[in-house]
Amino acid sequence: MGLPNASEDLSSEMEVDAFRRLFPLRYFERHLTESIRPDARPLRKARDTTIALGAVASADGSALAKIGSTTMLAAIKMEVMTPSLESPDEGCIAIDFHMPPICSPIVRPGRPAEVAPVLSKQLSDTITSSGMINLKELSLVSGKAAWMAYLDIYCLDADGALFDAALLSAVASFSHLQIPVVSLDYDGKIVIMSEEQKEENSETKPVNKEKRKLTLSTIPFSLTCILHKSYILADPTAEEESIMETLVTVVLDSSGQLVSLYKPGGSVLVYTSAVQDCVALTRQRVKELQNILDDAISGMEID
Amino acid sequence: MAAKPGTASTTYSPVDPTHKTKPSIFTDSDWVRPDSRGFQQCRPAFFRTGAVNSASGSAYAEFGNTKVIVSVFGPRESKKAMMYSDVGRLNCNVSYTTFATHVRGQGSDNKEFSSMLHKALEGAIILESFPKTTVDVFALVLESGGSDLPVVISCASLALADAGIMMYDLVTSVSVSCLGKNLLIDPILEEESCQDGSLMIACMPSRYEVTQLTVTGELSAPNLSEAMQLCLDACAKLAQIMRSCLKEAASAAEE
Repeated sequence: MGLPNASEDLSSEMEVDAFRRLFPLRYFERHLTESIRPDARPLRKARDTTIALGAVASADGSALAKIGSTTMLAAIKMEVMTPSLESPDEGCIAIDFHMPPICSPIVRPGRPAEVAPVLSKQLSDTITSSGMINLKELSLVSGKAAWMAYLDIYCLDADGALFDAALLSAVASFSHLQIPVVSLDYDGKIVIMSEEQKEENSETKPVNKEKRKLTLSTIPFSLTCILHKSYILADPTAEEESIMETLVTVVLDSSGQLVSLYKPGGSVLVYTSAVQDCVALTRQRVKELQNILDDAISGMEID
Repeated sequence: MAAKPGTASTTYSPVDPTHKTKPSIFTDSDWVRPDSRGFQQCRPAFFRTGAVNSASGSAYAEFGNTKVIVSVFGPRESKKAMMYSDVGRLNCNVSYTTFATHVRGQGSDNKEFSSMLHKALEGAIILESFPKTTVDVFALVLESGGSDLPVVISCASLALADAGIMMYDLVTSVSVSCLGKNLLIDPILEEESCQDGSLMIACMPSRYEVTQLTVTGELSAPNLSEAMQLCLDACAKLAQIMRSCLKEAASAAEE
């Protein structure tokens, strides 16, 4: 490696796999000049994406999202809390992102991945600031009781674009969320109404008869791109992320408005034109993701 | 909007007050199991290998509502602090998701299950085949629906096979709950919560060797031997299902 052009000369003699491991950057750049990526994707194409709703029966809402082999499982559990004095008519959402040791060789038990809390915060910020959820809808009894929605996202397989997959699974689990019918008992506690109670007109009245589903006004979707020299690679794999470091994540909502834009450092300084290209790519991707989510939801309704 | 410290303890999940904790019918002779299975009938088992691409080997198992994913990493370099060892090391970890149980949990490691998994697998793996290195077996219970540990053990041995780790045989595990006079195989959560005693066996069916046997609670001697036989028979059947899953994966890879 000491010689400037050592890899150039070796590449013709070496086996492809060895070249890939020894000179990953050269290996990728060779592909890029041919406008193709090692997994046979064009540079600006995202991997196949699927959503399965209702993957966890013990949760109130859940979704499994897959982008390529990156897999995220999100589930929501609804609990009751006393709303704060400042906002007596609002519920709350607590978002946590977990990377258990099963997802990647880098994560070991007892030594959590550094990116997990960072992504946790990013997801929380994005979902809050997008205005997707009206917290007033989570209110049960003004000043007395409101829902606390615990959203936990587990990364089951980490292969790049973790934020995109996590956000997708999060919004999908909110669209699957079915809020249980509850009533107020004599002690002022919120209890679940049983099937019989719902049918007969007993004196216990449900407090949230109409509010079983959240109205998601705008849904945020995201796309992560790698910038390398003048190339833009959409939806990177873990290998690509480890070789080329400059990432840009654009979050747009379903109406095409910009929710957030992250460019966490990296060696490439971004020109406005590159950012605009990324936003344009995200705009296309949002349409794709919206269709995938709509298909998943309509698939559930038929069942 | 993230949960502030201390807020977690002030929330509670609403309960159904009409739901009885222990149905009295469990002791009757003519009751049926909540999922209308026979007493000696296991839940339908589903296995799939290759669930996690970034792992050396992995498997997903689903028994009714019990859903488990196991990844195997390695053999890879042991931790620096480890002493030299002629034989390989096995490292196991079992954890639960926060939404696995009915009431939201902490999602922490389950130390007891981790060590039980380790002991159940240790005897089946040919540790001499990877000296100086470590094989990591990590399990995540996505949803807990009863008989969690037996499902984790069976799933882990399948993941080890998927990773190409040398073993004497697949390890399969089944548990039996004793409720009154009845023995119930492969109990679900409700049945486990009101059992009088239970027996769990992990074995290598082709060699007819038991790697782990745990008995808890009350179990009479005749019940014990009957329960053991039930478990061993079920383990042999489970091994067939797991073997066919491995064969399917191998033939799919060839094509």
